[in-house]
Amino acid sequence: MNAMNFLRNAFAGRKLATAGFIWLCLIALAAIIAPLIAPFDPLEIDPVGRLAEPGWPNLFGTDHFGRDTFSRAIYGARMTVIIGMGSVIVALVAGGAIGMLSAYFTRLGHFLMRGVDVLMAFPALLMALVLITLLERSVFNTILVIGIVYATTTARILYGMTLKLKGEVFVDAAICSGAGHTSILIRHILPNLVSPLLVQASFIFAFAQLQAAALDFLGLGLPPEVPSWGNMLSEERIYITRAPWLLIYPGMLIVLSVFSMNLVGDALRDSIDPRFKDDIAGV
Amino acid sequence: MTASTRGSKTTLRGSDHMALLEVENLEIAVSARGKLLPVVQGISFSVDDNETLGIVGESGCGKSLTSLAIMGLLGGTTVRITGGSIRFDGMDLLTLPEKDRRAIMGNRMAMIFQEPMTSLNPVYRIGDQIIENLRQHQSISNSAARDRVVELLTLVRIPSPSERIDSFPHQMSGGQRQRVMIAMALSCDPKLLIADEPTTALDVTVQKEVLDLMADLQKRMGTAIVLISHDLGVIAETCDKVAVMYRGRMAEAASTADLFAELAHPYTRGLLNSIPVVDRDVEWLEAIPGRVPTLEENLTGCAFHPRCALATELCASNVPATTEFKPGHSVQCHFAGKVAS
Repeated sequence: MNAMNFLRNAFAGRKLATAGFIWLCLIALAAIIAPLIAPFDPLEIDPVGRLAEPGWPNLFGTDHFGRDTFSRAIYGARMTVIIGMGSVIVALVAGGAIGMLSAYFTRLGHFLMRGVDVLMAFPALLMALVLITLLERSVFNTILVIGIVYATTTARILYGMTLKLKGEVFVDAAICSGAGHTSILIRHILPNLVSPLLVQASFIFAFAQLQAAALDFLGLGLPPEVPSWGNMLSEERIYITRAPWLLIYPGMLIVLSVFSMNLVGDALRDSIDPRFKDDIAGV
Repeated sequence: MTASTRGSKTTLRGSDHMALLEVENLEIAVSARGKLLPVVQGISFSVDDNETLGIVGESGCGKSLTSLAIMGLLGGTTVRITGGSIRFDGMDLLTLPEKDRRAIMGNRMAMIFQEPMTSLNPVYRIGDQIIENLRQHQSISNSAARDRVVELLTLVRIPSPSERIDSFPHQMSGGQRQRVMIAMALSCDPKLLIADEPTTALDVTVQKEVLDLMADLQKRMGTAIVLISHDLGVIAETCDKVAVMYRGRMAEAASTADLFAELAHPYTRGLLNSIPVVDRDVEWLEAIPGRVPTLEENLTGCAFHPRCALATELCASNVPATTEFKPGHSVQCHFAGKVAS
């Protein structure tokens, strides 16, 4: 019930953010029941019907292999959710652990945070490119690379917040009640970081999409046969004049989804930080 | 209560009997810009079961640091204990292994903090926080722990405790939160309770309630209490013995009755004179001139001499030794008991 209240609080009076949230719910739904709504197999090649215009039965047309673009887009939603959630988990677990431990154990923090600083000196995409060239192209490695890139910013944010929480009286009180380091970190500090983590997660989710699409487009992300919006853009880019719908649909999906995620992220952030409450009225 | 009858060399130390908490020659220093600045020097006192010791002093005199040192909260690199010993029930807390120390904390000794608004974790229900403390030290089933918490909340007079057990800290008032903190501190029946200005953040009526509550609980459980305060009135009312601290040193120490019978240290007199008295009509309150000197100021001699009306050249050059003013009443002053003419 608490989560419901939190959501109601975050989205009340924010039409655009609510629309974004609904859109994301649709994407999530599509990802879950993709096999039920996709009219065709996204990998089925049909050389005769290649580059068909949008219409019936191919709602979004077909690509240069004759694969149904609509079905590929639906399965692409699945990839979007997998990449997003995977990257969020990697980034939050790795970044969260680094940030919290660094802040809590100051001496260890000197080493870890300097490492984070070095990683942050590289542009995100460049770092992802370097890492991915060291690994094979696979869904797992893409998630890993994007996760690592965003673990650095997460570590920074959690480092600061843990540092602040560490000085709170209730942490002293916990020490006084005989709690050990693990108990203080997990039972007393971590629960106070849940809402900032949630906000951070929503932004990483959005950035991961852009990053994944960029990697796909450069041919370094997901393996080419995997239906993802980034791969669709990458494969069909030479047909932009002959069959523009092949790029417009996945492009629109990426833009809409990332925009929605950012709106939702903003709404969540504002709801936990009352200073922003009336800043951008109703967005 | 018992201190005045117990003849000993220094007032606040029992003679041959081992007190529950014995602090001896405690030294705490702050390292700043590569230098070690002493903030607490040569503090000694002891507290026994059923006894309340009050530590008074202005802000920055080291009274809170002393309490943090006892609870082992001075783990940082900037503030550290540089000498002395703290013995609790015969164990030296400064050398005790971390694990054994944790078994004592919150169990046999507990602390109440100054700020009731921030000393409870905002994301936990108050009942869960107390249960957490209970289960840290006792193997107790969840429902038994819950019953115990309701009992504790009743004890600290929280209205309708079986409902308030599920409240979040922000749903309670400051006084209620402080009572929850007291309930938490008492959850494992500690032998020693350290209260660092437990009533400073509360208004006067609530203050009285909280102090009464603590006195009541002491009567019931025989807990030893160290009460830290800057309010001599509170100390006079609740404590058996008093230690007056000034700039990290023990200015004066005696049983409450002895101390207020004859204030030997000019600083203690200054503290008392600066309290407004309702039935005395005075134009001006007497304040102690100046302020507590900062740590950077290189003071020779008695730390109080720049503000003292009795000060002579002797005070400026020599640190006064702790002397026995009356039996059981120790003072650090060259002119103990003398009044400015």
